[in-house]
Amino acid sequence: MATPSTNRVLVPKPARTSFNKERPLERNTLLKNQVDHFRELEKRLLAELQTGIQYETVKTEGQAAEYIKKMTTILHPQAFRSGGK
Amino acid sequence: MPAGLDNLKHIVVLMMENRSFDHMLGALKSVDPRINGLIGNETNLDTTNEPAKVLPQAEFQSQLDPDPDHAFPAVNKQLYFGTPGPPAPPSMNGFVQSYYDQQKDVQHSHKIMYYFTPDKLPVLTTLARSFALFNGWFAAIPGPTICNRAFAHYGTSFGKVTMDMFEIKPPYVSIYERLLAANPARSTKLYYYDTSSSTMEVVNLLKNQPQIFATYDQFLSDCKNGDLPEYSFVEPNYSDHEGDGGGEELASDQHPDHDVQAGEIFIGTIYNAIHENPDLWKSTALLVVYDEHGGIYDHVPPPGCTPDAPFIAPLTDTQTGATFAFDRLGVRVPAILISPWIAKATVVPGPEDPVNGRVFEHSSIPATVTQHYIGAYDARSPREKAAQTFLDLLGDTMRPDTDCPVFDFGN
Repeated sequence: MATPSTNRVLVPKPARTSFNKERPLERNTLLKNQVDHFRELEKRLLAELQTGIQYETVKTEGQAAEYIKKMTTILHPQAFRSGGK
Repeated sequence: MPAGLDNLKHIVVLMMENRSFDHMLGALKSVDPRINGLIGNETNLDTTNEPAKVLPQAEFQSQLDPDPDHAFPAVNKQLYFGTPGPPAPPSMNGFVQSYYDQQKDVQHSHKIMYYFTPDKLPVLTTLARSFALFNGWFAAIPGPTICNRAFAHYGTSFGKVTMDMFEIKPPYVSIYERLLAANPARSTKLYYYDTSSSTMEVVNLLKNQPQIFATYDQFLSDCKNGDLPEYSFVEPNYSDHEGDGGGEELASDQHPDHDVQAGEIFIGTIYNAIHENPDLWKSTALLVVYDEHGGIYDHVPPPGCTPDAPFIAPLTDTQTGATFAFDRLGVRVPAILISPWIAKATVVPGPEDPVNGRVFEHSSIPATVTQHYIGAYDARSPREKAAQTFLDLLGDTMRPDTDCPVFDFGN
């Protein structure tokens, strides 16, 4: 901004130990349901478009993210072309 | 028309996850008595009939594990414990009992009553004290995420009170599709964090309308370049995962047991991105709101509302022994409207003020966006048609930049 704000608020960072991609999926009902929703959509896709990921192997947050990334890339290829993020 | 509304070109909604008003902002009552937060003597009885009091001991992570139950029957217990149930008034006395059900640990069940002190949440509390804080913004229904977020996108959950995918039923369409079909067409985007986090509740939209989606990096770029659409909805990162470059992407949704501080940074970064572009700052209203309370204590009984006819949730979905006509709201959540055209420290009264109090819920989002960008629009749910809109909070005076916060993440 042209005029500097005098109301600067310092925001602390999370602890370095916060990250846990091994957190069991069963402990996050929201993420588990997101996986379920993508799984429902995947069943309606042509076989050649499906991820090939077995549902039973998605057991952690990190694994859920990998599965969701593959499904999102299939459904939203524009994001994949722009780098995914 | 107030100058703030005359200048308004962009509405941005950021919807976070699973925290109640009192848990995040209840402590602010001690600094501003207009804020309907905690006195400090609120209690729930635990399973030994001892009172469990609200305490300022909330932690950023590892405290609400397991994820507190917030499915429809659990919320029913949280609201109505000790009463015959609806239509009796909610007692707000069942939060501890409900959390006990998950681990059978009396001391652990007390943690559902813990709240944050303002110094622990510098972003959320600063925004609440700098702009407009709603005393009466409630989840759309007393249930979980998916059906509540549906109200933000469609103004209805199409009869769902569960986490199941919902079936879109005519004549209702999403706010994004309404805007694209308007005459003249309006610009809109739904920004999800990245492909590994993706969108939460509208995977059908992702499949059928991929052009309305973009990523968080695109949101930041659009803010910087002045390319933000007229209406944006932003989703946080829902999981801890590896980034495309191999780094760690920490979940920023604040859903238990994700780190609340990561969400603070996410909220602050979105605010800064808008604030740093002077043209965008003076022409944007940013709403920060939570989808539902996540099973965490709040002291304000949710009020009744216009039924969402013709939808009735069946016994098989409610699991409470009674059907649900979508005629009462869910638990109160934090909600803050941000714009330089809002007077500092505005508190929008809620049900505590029988004369001037106003009740908002997630249908207020499509109702407000439709009103501002489209005008008259009949194909909306009864809930959305009855919902309060919030752009009247923008006034005639634009506050100087020195009067607005900037968040410093120490980068």
